[in-house]
Amino acid sequence: MDPTPSTPAPAAFQSDCETGPGSVWGWWPSWRPTSMSLLKATESKILNCIQNNLWARFVTLPSQDRIWTLTLTNKTVPKPAEQDSKMPLVMVHGFGGGVGLWIRNLDALSRSRTVYAFDLLGFGRSSRPSFPSDAAKAEEHFVNSIEQWRQSVGLENMILLGHSLGGYLATSYAIQHPSRVSHLILVDPWGFPERPQIQSHENQGQTTELVKRPSPPRWVKAIVSVVSLFNPLAVIRAAGPWGPGLVNRFRPDFKRKFEDLFDDDTMTQYIYHCNAQPPSGEVGFRAMSESLGWAKRPMLQRIHLLPSSMPLTILYGAQSWVDSSSGDKVVQVRSPARTKVLLINDASHHVYADQPEKFNRVIENLCNSVN
Amino acid sequence: MFPLDSSWNISFAGCGFLGIYHVGVASCLLEQAPFLVHNAKHIYGASAGALTATALVTGVCLGEAGASIIEVAKEARKRFLGPMHPSFNLVKIVRFMLQRTLPADSHQIANGRLGISLTRVTDGENVVVSHFNNKEEIVQACVCSAYIPVYCGIIPPTLQGVRYVDGGISDNLPHYELKNTITVSPFSGESDICPRDTSTNIHELRFTNTSIQFTLTNLYRISRALFPPDPMVMKAMCKQGYNDALHFLKKNGLLNFSDPHIDRALQGNREKHEDQVDYVHTDAKGVGEDEKMHMVDGPLTVHPSIEEHIIVRLPPTLHKALIEACTERRSLVQSLSNLLPFRMASAMMLPYTLPLESALSLTLRLLEWLPDVQEDVGWIQEQLVKVLQHVLRQASKSITQHFSARFSCQLELHHYQSLPSQIRSTSLYATWVGSGTLSVQDIFTRLDQYKRQLLSGTFCVNMDLEGSFQTGSMSVDKSSASFLPAEGFPTHTGGLSDSKDAMRHFDSDLPLINPGAHQTNYYQF
Repeated sequence: MDPTPSTPAPAAFQSDCETGPGSVWGWWPSWRPTSMSLLKATESKILNCIQNNLWARFVTLPSQDRIWTLTLTNKTVPKPAEQDSKMPLVMVHGFGGGVGLWIRNLDALSRSRTVYAFDLLGFGRSSRPSFPSDAAKAEEHFVNSIEQWRQSVGLENMILLGHSLGGYLATSYAIQHPSRVSHLILVDPWGFPERPQIQSHENQGQTTELVKRPSPPRWVKAIVSVVSLFNPLAVIRAAGPWGPGLVNRFRPDFKRKFEDLFDDDTMTQYIYHCNAQPPSGEVGFRAMSESLGWAKRPMLQRIHLLPSSMPLTILYGAQSWVDSSSGDKVVQVRSPARTKVLLINDASHHVYADQPEKFNRVIENLCNSVN
Repeated sequence: MFPLDSSWNISFAGCGFLGIYHVGVASCLLEQAPFLVHNAKHIYGASAGALTATALVTGVCLGEAGASIIEVAKEARKRFLGPMHPSFNLVKIVRFMLQRTLPADSHQIANGRLGISLTRVTDGENVVVSHFNNKEEIVQACVCSAYIPVYCGIIPPTLQGVRYVDGGISDNLPHYELKNTITVSPFSGESDICPRDTSTNIHELRFTNTSIQFTLTNLYRISRALFPPDPMVMKAMCKQGYNDALHFLKKNGLLNFSDPHIDRALQGNREKHEDQVDYVHTDAKGVGEDEKMHMVDGPLTVHPSIEEHIIVRLPPTLHKALIEACTERRSLVQSLSNLLPFRMASAMMLPYTLPLESALSLTLRLLEWLPDVQEDVGWIQEQLVKVLQHVLRQASKSITQHFSARFSCQLELHHYQSLPSQIRSTSLYATWVGSGTLSVQDIFTRLDQYKRQLLSGTFCVNMDLEGSFQTGSMSVDKSSASFLPAEGFPTHTGGLSDSKDAMRHFDSDLPLINPGAHQTNYYQF
């Protein structure tokens, strides 16, 4: 991809950006070196790499929340009508991410069909409302925002692709609005397996097996219970001016994954600015998860609610920490004819960034199988 | 499928006492897929990983290596404060063990194949050493790579005349980015060979390239990296390393399935060992009742999968060595000292025994240190001077910044009166410093020089701003703010022909002068 800016319709970027509440403390220097405008600047640096037609705007929902949306269409398509007839692809990012992370996929995937990517409610540049603390309600809040977004954009049907947390929400959405989803693609989805229950001591024969797995001492559990009182990424915000350095130090992999596009810290800065804003989607995620990342309402218990006629494809990175065995369990539950599990080699959790060519090819084929 | 047509490397992550995991991995690779080790182009390691990498390259018996690690851990656990006790000298023990186990010609075997990750003290950069002149240098490289500052000591050791510390500080997993590197890490995450925790946590950290997922078990492992666990737990970790490596081999189709059927003698041998092991297990249960108590409960127990049923045995030699290391010396004295009254007594006596033991170990260490005193003291002096210089430079920089900021503030208010007063303040400042040493004075006079330039620069800019305010509209003002400083400075520096050093200082300070231009940049988009 050539990084030369091809002027992707500058007018498409809306000039309005939310600044903080104009309180009396407005003059006080912020503890965190971030703002919505900084996020916007970093994001525009990333989006400059896009060569196809890009239309970026806020979609206002009936609830007055605004969803930051990218629409990509092919610039050199012979007949625009042909592209319109193709089923659009909608991409949902994962926890703590944003539309910018799809930068290595947007161009390739929008070659044959319209691609929509949006920041989830409470993440990236979208509005940051307060989330209910109940797991089911928080999930409902996310799913409703997706459905309202779909109505506002005016899509009838779509191919829905979700990564990590986005995969969880996409599945939940597909269960509630099955008629809108013509193919569900999950990339390293979060929240599928159930939390293993504490084994009772009835199976005495297994004790030697159990001895091998020492449980952490009490103080570790104490730390964990303290940590779980806070939002997952509170550390980044609490670190204030050291936050960007912290992201750089502990997630250098993001910089490396995109190093052929940006040779500076653009990507880690983007991640920082996405997550240093007041937490909102994080609160929703915390409500839905328990004990360091297990889902309170695991998707494996509900996957049978997905209509068996809906094609489902699950992609896993071979090196990812996400356990691909839950994919096999999904196949057992659903009809194997309509469910596929694919493993992408040499890819970690961020499959789309580690193996973009392979990922794009796979997704392209899947989309073409729809129409 | 792992690409075997091109060359590949193996990289072991640094992990302190969890290095026992690496031993398990290494023994599995050696036993199940020896070609993977023997034909590997490079074998890298950092910290504890470097020890295993060295053992693997030089062909040291891994059982012995594992036993050594457990030995060290036992030594560390013996005292009340664990490894923090003053009489526990990790560097000395590691050096002694390496010298004992490594063959004399190890440098010839290791040259070019073994890569040890080190952190250079002077600039904090990572160095991967792969050339060794003699066995002593390999030992020294391993010691350097495992030298965690403060934990191991204060004065870093030297290798080939350069001071190094723990490689894990700068790069804990050397060359992990190459596609053909098999990465081994005892922390569950995204390494090739690592424990697979059943967790769905979304948070993942990269500690100098080692991927560590934020899970309960990993927290436990991190806590045990520097404070070693019970030998039996370490043995379990070794076994887990073996299993994880086996899982990796199976997944990539590298496992030679026909192998176990060929040597039945070995199998029989193994079964015999297994009987022994069972006996030891029950024995250990009898002794460490309380240990079993807090090991059995907990949600982290993994459902035993089919794989674990097939192979849960370590190679016999390794197993035997580990068992011996775990169970030996359960003498009467030790079991007596493990009793509660004795432990309580020793804990209560600690305020009296600790100073005595510390003094003793301190004198011992001083005696051992004697040959290197001159070199080390020279180095400490050098470092102190450097730190002092740095502090002085920072302080003077902030002072000038403060002055110039205040000055320009005054300038905006009434730019005619403020100039003389500012000069007076700087001259006062210079005389105050005058009592210092020559070099300090030199620095300050130089600072004073470029400060004056700088001030004249800002003065000029502000004057221009003032002018544009009076004449032009808002838009003119904005543009002049963004380009005038850049235009104004070179003429001033050219006018005052100064030393190059001052120029450099001047350039480095440039961004500090006009923060206004920075702020406008963000909103220009």
